[in-house]
Amino acid sequence: MDVQEAVTEGTASVDNGEVKRDGRKQFSMGPSDILEGKLIYDGSVHADGRVEGEVRVSGNIDVASGANVKALLEGANVTLKGQVEGMVTARDKLTLGKNARLSGDIQVRRLQIDDGATLNGHVRMGDFEQQASGQ
Amino acid sequence: MTLSSRRPASRLATPVPAENGSNGQRNSVVLGPNDRLVGELYIEGDLRVAGTVEGNLEATGDIEIAGAGKVNGDVTAYNRLTVGSDASLIAGDVRVARLTVADGAKFSGKVSMGKVAVEPSKPAEPEPVLVEATPVAKPVPVKPVSVKTEPVKPVPVKAVPVKPAAAKPAAVKPFEQKGKRR
Repeated sequence: MDVQEAVTEGTASVDNGEVKRDGRKQFSMGPSDILEGKLIYDGSVHADGRVEGEVRVSGNIDVASGANVKALLEGANVTLKGQVEGMVTARDKLTLGKNARLSGDIQVRRLQIDDGATLNGHVRMGDFEQQASGQ
Repeated sequence: MTLSSRRPASRLATPVPAENGSNGQRNSVVLGPNDRLVGELYIEGDLRVAGTVEGNLEATGDIEIAGAGKVNGDVTAYNRLTVGSDASLIAGDVRVARLTVADGAKFSGKVSMGKVAVEPSKPAEPEPVLVEATPVAKPVPVKPVSVKTEPVKPVPVKAVPVKPAAAKPAAVKPFEQKGKRR
């Protein structure tokens, strides 16, 4: 799993997929990209292609419709449009788009599920900050 | 306790009628903002909850928790479950084919989606049977003859769903009386 690890200050080397948007860093993957391992990132991530492992970001996570993700995801706002297998934590809001397929437990403050999305897992909502501080 | 006293024993074998209302329309139950249900509800049709429910809900059609509706219990919808932005669903198990949750809704529970997840839901729930058994006291003095022959089956044409159940308890009654005489 620990094939690759990108830590906040060291991510400048990943200039291939990094763009600035609204003054915040964004790590952007393409449909043919593969990320395996653990990514801790001070910014937002646009996930596409294949992701396996763990992704924890200070910003938002956006999973594209064609993406295949088998990973733990943690971000402020998490938007899923593709297929995700794994636990998802949204410190603010989790959105499941109409084509999203999520299999895993989720922990959120706010939740929106669009018609057509598929969810199998346990949903925890509410006193998220208390639970997070205990981790 | 239970609004619906009639529950098919084998739900899986029961075809889901698109129209089963008395007027030929699809059955629908609405619990308004001031309505409150404590117990268990099974309905062949749709359900809309704008009030408060403490207990388990099961519908062969759609379930909508709208307005400031609050549901605290398991929810099974053979088709779609919709939770509105001001609504609340605190569940143990949520079994649905389709699910829509609006931003702002309170929602928690174990979600199982897809037809495969919905159909095998068969938790043993004997409560409705108990509800049917309670009104036995009334039919016993009316038709004591039916105890031996049990010609009760053609009777339920009167659309009283409770009557078929009266046949078995009625047969039990004489035995209880014998016991008292001893």
